[in-house]
Amino acid sequence: MDVAWSNNLIYLMLAFYVLSAVIALVLSSKQRAGNVVSQVLSSVAALVGIISSIMHILHGPETVQVFSLTTAIPYISLYAVIDRLSSFFILTLSILAFCVSIYSIGYTSHYYGKRNVGLFNCLYNLFILTMVFVFMSGNTIFFLISWELMSLTSYFLVIFEAEQVQNQRAGLIYLIMTHIGTAFLFIAFMLLYKFTGSFGMDVDTQEIAAVIRNIIFVLFFVGFGTKAGMIPLHVWLPYAHPAAPSNVSALMSGIMIKTAIYGLLRFGMFVLGPESAWWGLMILSTGTVSTVLGVAYALMEHNIKRLLAYHSIENIGIIMIGLGISFIAYAASNMVLCSLALMAALFHLLNHTLFKGALFLTAGSVQFATHTKDIEELGGLMKRMPYTGIFVLVASLSISAIPPFNGFVSEWMTYQSLIMNIGASSFGLKIISILSAAALAMAGAMAAACFVKLIGISFLGLPRSENALQAKEVPFVMNAGVGLLVLLCTVFGVFPFLIIQLLEKVNAGLFGGAVGGHLQGGIVFVWYPLVVSNYSISPLAVLVVGILVFAVIAVVVRYLSRAAKERVYGTWDCGFDGLNSRTQYSATGFSKPFRIIWRFIYRPTRELRVEKGLSAYYPKSLRYVVSTESMIEKYFYSPAADMFTRFARRTRLFVQTGSVHTYLIYLFVAILVLFVYNSLTFL
Amino acid sequence: MEYYLDSLSLLILISSFVLVANKRINSYIKTFRLQSFLLVILAGVIGVEKFLTEGALDIIVVCVIILALKVIYIPRLLKNTVNKVEYKVEKDFFLNIPIGVLICCALVMLVYYSISSVVPMNSGHSQVYLVNSISVVLIGLFFMISRKKAIGQIIGFLVLENGLFTTAMLTANGMPVIIELGMFIDLLTAVMIMGVLVFKINENFESIDINKLRNLRG
Repeated sequence: MDVAWSNNLIYLMLAFYVLSAVIALVLSSKQRAGNVVSQVLSSVAALVGIISSIMHILHGPETVQVFSLTTAIPYISLYAVIDRLSSFFILTLSILAFCVSIYSIGYTSHYYGKRNVGLFNCLYNLFILTMVFVFMSGNTIFFLISWELMSLTSYFLVIFEAEQVQNQRAGLIYLIMTHIGTAFLFIAFMLLYKFTGSFGMDVDTQEIAAVIRNIIFVLFFVGFGTKAGMIPLHVWLPYAHPAAPSNVSALMSGIMIKTAIYGLLRFGMFVLGPESAWWGLMILSTGTVSTVLGVAYALMEHNIKRLLAYHSIENIGIIMIGLGISFIAYAASNMVLCSLALMAALFHLLNHTLFKGALFLTAGSVQFATHTKDIEELGGLMKRMPYTGIFVLVASLSISAIPPFNGFVSEWMTYQSLIMNIGASSFGLKIISILSAAALAMAGAMAAACFVKLIGISFLGLPRSENALQAKEVPFVMNAGVGLLVLLCTVFGVFPFLIIQLLEKVNAGLFGGAVGGHLQGGIVFVWYPLVVSNYSISPLAVLVVGILVFAVIAVVVRYLSRAAKERVYGTWDCGFDGLNSRTQYSATGFSKPFRIIWRFIYRPTRELRVEKGLSAYYPKSLRYVVSTESMIEKYFYSPAADMFTRFARRTRLFVQTGSVHTYLIYLFVAILVLFVYNSLTFL
Repeated sequence: MEYYLDSLSLLILISSFVLVANKRINSYIKTFRLQSFLLVILAGVIGVEKFLTEGALDIIVVCVIILALKVIYIPRLLKNTVNKVEYKVEKDFFLNIPIGVLICCALVMLVYYSISSVVPMNSGHSQVYLVNSISVVLIGLFFMISRKKAIGQIIGFLVLENGLFTTAMLTANGMPVIIELGMFIDLLTAVMIMGVLVFKINENFESIDINKLRNLRG
């Protein structure tokens, strides 16, 4: 592959995104045409991105210089460089962006005549573009600028339906949290500059004192952790994702929170280089906590998008478990484990992008068809929206890590790295690894329960509202976008070697060594991972065996019941006349056992109001409200916010007296202090 | 030449001390006019010198503008304003006059102390110029703080601006003429707006004591 040619493809991708953004604005008066043209252009851009990044990973040189802008302003120069790691992230982004853009051709149509579609599409393209810039930035200045632009464009997209008060609130929380995170990053970059004298990303940090390196790493961890949505910094995520339009939440959850993983990897591992195990341990334990608590909170949610948002926290936790093991192994110079764990993390990252993108898009489809996000108002959608139903089912199986779908492979690899880490490390780390593996297993089971709830309540049974009854299948383009993601989930689940090969190249570029030799098998039958044969598994074999077992059972059952007669009849209803939607299992009821077991986390409160009728057995009306509360919000964020507002209110009255003379005195004192400072420093 | 400039900058400084020692509003305006006149002489000396050496007229133009604006027009404007609103004479300062003058002395000492640490500026004439003119800036600001009535703030602001102008003139032979012109227009508008505001304040509060304006708070 010629360098110039792969560069040209990258320029082409950037140009298409820009063009799409501009055309969206130009054609904003013709909403339908503008939307179609703009989204087609961005999907072309994404396609070019997919091709160029795959090409680069497979055949390209180690690094590709995309552009470098030096400005006359001191320190401000922008370098864009792509190495294989960036390429992998751009690939992930482009796959998602391609599917989401196709989906958006149909989805955005519900804004026609109501909102400024042109503005929306412009922001949408800029959002993708800034994420590309984040992945390709070659110095910290460019990284910060792109990072901040990404946060701002996503903020505007979150509050796109700004007339609703809860969206404004969600946007505000998002803005505050993301800027707190950026502040930490800012300090970290400044410290890096202070101690290395360069804003580059290939600086030698080995000279920096260990204390400073630790401080910088903790700053990075908090800063990126805020964006990633790890617990306890996750507070913005369950608000921002539901508030944004569904295609934007798919992008935000699918790839934007992954920019934080990229940053952690880039700056934590490659710029700083973990030297002591506690860096990885910190990532690992936070990841474990996020995994369990994320899914635990997801179980209690009845708003589809909030539920999915909490699952993003869970999956970021899983990615961070892999990342943490990788950091620990790096510190112990165990490059095989480091590479394997990183591969697990990156593979899960890609998988999460695929299935979470698909799930958010289907949530959008459901909302498009029924105008509600509340599970309790849905039901029976499997018959009315068959394609969407199948897509949700496959994506749910993937996210619940059930073979032969892709979530299984990456979680399996994560388990493997945890298990290898048990063998490889000292006593304390052993226990942590065992606990993490157990927590991961529990989280997997709870995730499955959660998606049983999602599908069982909203797609099976009878419709619980007029909206659900009237639901119709969404337009073809929307299904095409989701279908592609779901297809990829299956393909990568059955043939994981496709991705493993790419990741192999990425890892080889990063560590020099590779784990490929340890991963046995060819394209058809693949055992994962490593030579430790007891733990190996072949997804394709599982699929084949599964199909065979299913066929055998079907034949046997058919054979045994050949004498039985079939009749179609309503379900037995205990003598009542006719079952209706009110007699079905509700989402609240389904999650009740979890509410009881996990009482110490949820702190549930319930309220039962009975209006008595003639007899105690026939009340006129019953009202049952159950609510759970978030402990982190109640005991940390609310008091902190209250304290801050109180402080601000008091200082305002104290500082802003309203007297002009006081204000003049502030000026005067400030100047005097500067004069004194000037004479002191030169003494 | 340097001796003229030395003594002129000192005279400008002394005129601001005189301003701090003034008790009545009419005398503020007179002192301001005096100071502006000293400024005109300063600009004139520098301008003539520049004309003789380089043949450039720009500073002389600036000098004429100052004469028209700060010596003639603005004082007259302020005098008219005062005549219309100031019908009672009352104490106008928070601190009494001797304490005010002493504070100004302390300010000059602070500036001297601080400037002496700035390496290229801490010797010879430029030190004298800088100390005197920056002191004028600080004294103008102090004057704004120490006076209650709105006219005091306007005069303080104008003196502050005079100080800035003196600094620029003495250390850099004036700023480019286009910037000077812009600043004069700024100043003129500011004074006109402030004059109008004084009327408004007087209408609403029956006084121009800005200590009574305390509703403006966040």
